Amino acid sequence: MLTRREFIKYAAVGTASLAGISFLGCTQKGGEGEATPTPVETSKAKYKDTFVLGEGKDHKLDGGKWGIGFFPKIHVLERLVEYDMKNDELVTSLAEKWDVERDGKLITFQLRRGVRFSDGSELNAEAVKFTVEWLANKHPLGSETFESAEVVDDYTVSITYKDAAFFNLAKMAEFHMSIMSPNSVEPKGDPTGKLTTPIGTGPFKVADYKKNQYAVYEPNPYWYERRGIEPKFKRFVVKFIPDEDTRVMALRSGEVDAISDYSHGGSDYTPRNQLNVLAGDGYKVYKRNIPLTWVIAFNYEKEPFNDIELRRAVSLAVNRDEIVKIFDGHVRPAWNGMFAPEAPGMAKAGIKYEYNPNKAKEILSQKDVGEVSFIVDKSQGDQVLVAQLVQQQLKEVGFNVNLDVLEGGAYRQKRDAGDYDMRLYYIGGTDRRFYLRLYWRFHPETKWKAYLSPKTGELCKAILKEFDKAKREQYLIEFYKSLYEEMGVVPLYHDVMTVVTSPKVEAKQEQLFEMAEPFFYGVGVRL
Amino acid sequence: MLKYVLRRILQIIPTLIGISFLSFSLLYIFPGDPAELIVMISSGVEPTPEMVEKFRKEAGLDKPLVVQYVNWLSKVVRGDFGTSWSSGEPVIEEIAERFPASAQLFFSTFLISVAFAFLLGIISALHKDKAVDHICRIFSLVGISIPSFWLGLTLIWIFSVQLHVLPAFGYGELKHLILPVLTWSFSFMAVKTRFVRASLLEALSQDYITTARAKGLPERVVVFRHALRNAMIPIITYFSLSMSHLIVGSVMVEVVFSWPGLGSLLVESVFKRDFPVVQALVLLCGVIFTITNLVVDILYAIIDPRIRYGD
Repeated sequence: MLTRREFIKYAAVGTASLAGISFLGCTQKGGEGEATPTPVETSKAKYKDTFVLGEGKDHKLDGGKWGIGFFPKIHVLERLVEYDMKNDELVTSLAEKWDVERDGKLITFQLRRGVRFSDGSELNAEAVKFTVEWLANKHPLGSETFESAEVVDDYTVSITYKDAAFFNLAKMAEFHMSIMSPNSVEPKGDPTGKLTTPIGTGPFKVADYKKNQYAVYEPNPYWYERRGIEPKFKRFVVKFIPDEDTRVMALRSGEVDAISDYSHGGSDYTPRNQLNVLAGDGYKVYKRNIPLTWVIAFNYEKEPFNDIELRRAVSLAVNRDEIVKIFDGHVRPAWNGMFAPEAPGMAKAGIKYEYNPNKAKEILSQKDVGEVSFIVDKSQGDQVLVAQLVQQQLKEVGFNVNLDVLEGGAYRQKRDAGDYDMRLYYIGGTDRRFYLRLYWRFHPETKWKAYLSPKTGELCKAILKEFDKAKREQYLIEFYKSLYEEMGVVPLYHDVMTVVTSPKVEAKQEQLFEMAEPFFYGVGVRL
Repeated sequence: MLKYVLRRILQIIPTLIGISFLSFSLLYIFPGDPAELIVMISSGVEPTPEMVEKFRKEAGLDKPLVVQYVNWLSKVVRGDFGTSWSSGEPVIEEIAERFPASAQLFFSTFLISVAFAFLLGIISALHKDKAVDHICRIFSLVGISIPSFWLGLTLIWIFSVQLHVLPAFGYGELKHLILPVLTWSFSFMAVKTRFVRASLLEALSQDYITTARAKGLPERVVVFRHALRNAMIPIITYFSLSMSHLIVGSVMVEVVFSWPGLGSLLVESVFKRDFPVVQALVLLCGVIFTITNLVVDILYAIIDPRIRYGD
């Protein structure tokens, strides 16, 4: 039996050893190559070999539950079509043309020839069929969209959808509908297989990945060859830095060459109130407007906001110019529509939201309104500030607003139980999600609606059915007007997408925002 | 002694069962139908009543609560905590992946903060109400008052942005560990310094210390052999409580420094209502806490033989 003194001595040695092992564990890991990769400079080239980006979200390259993250869906994969919001048209991408039959129930895509996945295998009808079947098995959006896919010939594939609608074609530009090689899953080619590494036709291929830490990409030579351009770096390292302030510090310390908003839009973004400061310190700020709007959504089926006049009073009481000051003016106030003016038909709808607190007071004086509960998710820091300002503005006209700042789970719980009167919500998204979010927010059959009335519901259905662009625009205008007249939602501001780079980074706005999501294929870091 | 240890081990069994039942009950404490909740979170769609009923039967959620608990516990003791609803990955893999990072951060912080807490606490107690005591107390007060995220960002600004000597974030190499450990240690040691000081002062005010001094013992012997040893019981108790920080205590530090540990996993899982992960982490936290307490009780008996009551 040990004496007490001996025990204490051995315990002290043991504790010190444990801590030593702990330290050693760190250093050994680094030595084994598990450390975050660091940039490698080459003396001959004009640019650094490595471009390092800081982003707020993990890329889920091991498959995640809903597949890989949005960033690799844009940078590693491509889609059959892309959405050109300016012209409200689906344009060619991996598919060079398509035929719509049975009102959109069946769409036959003719694939571009000579396109290769980054592993050298060819993009063909089998690969598209595999992707469609894999999505139908593995992804909720795939299972609710696709019925079947059939190979017509090597470069022609017919997809049968569950419904007949224009929406089917629009959805093919969505992130989740990105085409991947059958070699991306295990067992290879199995439409029920487990995603191992995404292999696509996009500008990059996955070289390394450490969950919640970093992803390393390398240029896909087939993509660059197809575009007739040369990559300006050999490795593209994305470091995951969830805290927005740390991301900015990492840019300032030179550990990353650029920081970017999350591809989805509306979250994990560079703090807007730091953009001017960064620009003043010589950093380059790139910005692109997106049709994502933050709105006040109501619990419109119960009192008090089942009353259109009260919803109107809320809209009249909100000064959007004050709200955008929270973001240093980097977002646009939503005075002229519930979507940004770039959205199809929006500018033609001629909508103008008014700021008139006196009118709001007048409406309120005729109503008997008790305390109004306003819920906001506190994980969205800026939204808490917006909600506080809105609460203040509503109080000034006589609304008694109880603001409840909740953690994500509690927020969703209250939302799902309908235990609120007002909440902050977003409609729209990046360009490619315009129709999808219209469906998710305003279609009668979806759960997470922002608003629904018989008229807006019917118009939403008509919009998503209609292939004829002119008719669709007309439906959209009618929809916007109805939403405005019924004050279904109160739009506050239209969001943006930003990228901030160090002065050494060469990037072109038109390349960086070739799509609405930041796209880094043309970036170079000067030596 | 052996009898005492065995008795203490037997005593923790009901505690562990209680902890496991509480962890299991989390799913039922949450309002609503667990089956509906699981289907909704794991499928991402609004489930139909048929889907919910089908799942309820498949998952055994239609069985009595005690049966469900026993089934759950029998899997848990074999290391099967189920599958994360949000990632679809086995919970044990998610925890195992993040545990090394948490352990590195915690044990490094613990060792440094305990060493400094003893050093500053003893200096402070031995120089009570003198300048050095005031400095140590102000240091502790500042450490307790400064939020970790603010301190972390300030350290990043100094050492990464201005001096370029340490990385602002990341995990894997020793240099990545320095700022997170420094940030966490500051608040960790501040509280402990005050505790060491208070415990030592309490011991130094006892009659046996006066006796020891009257016997003419050197002050070093009085302080370290008599006072500090007797002050160790509350100090060990207090320090052992901080073992629970291994999982939950480092959330802010993990977030600021992008440290892939268990604290951020727990917070993310709570926000996502990912109950299998929350259940596993709560259970793990409780088990670590209970076992630490057992070890501490045994240490008591070694340090102070009077505690081996009944042996």
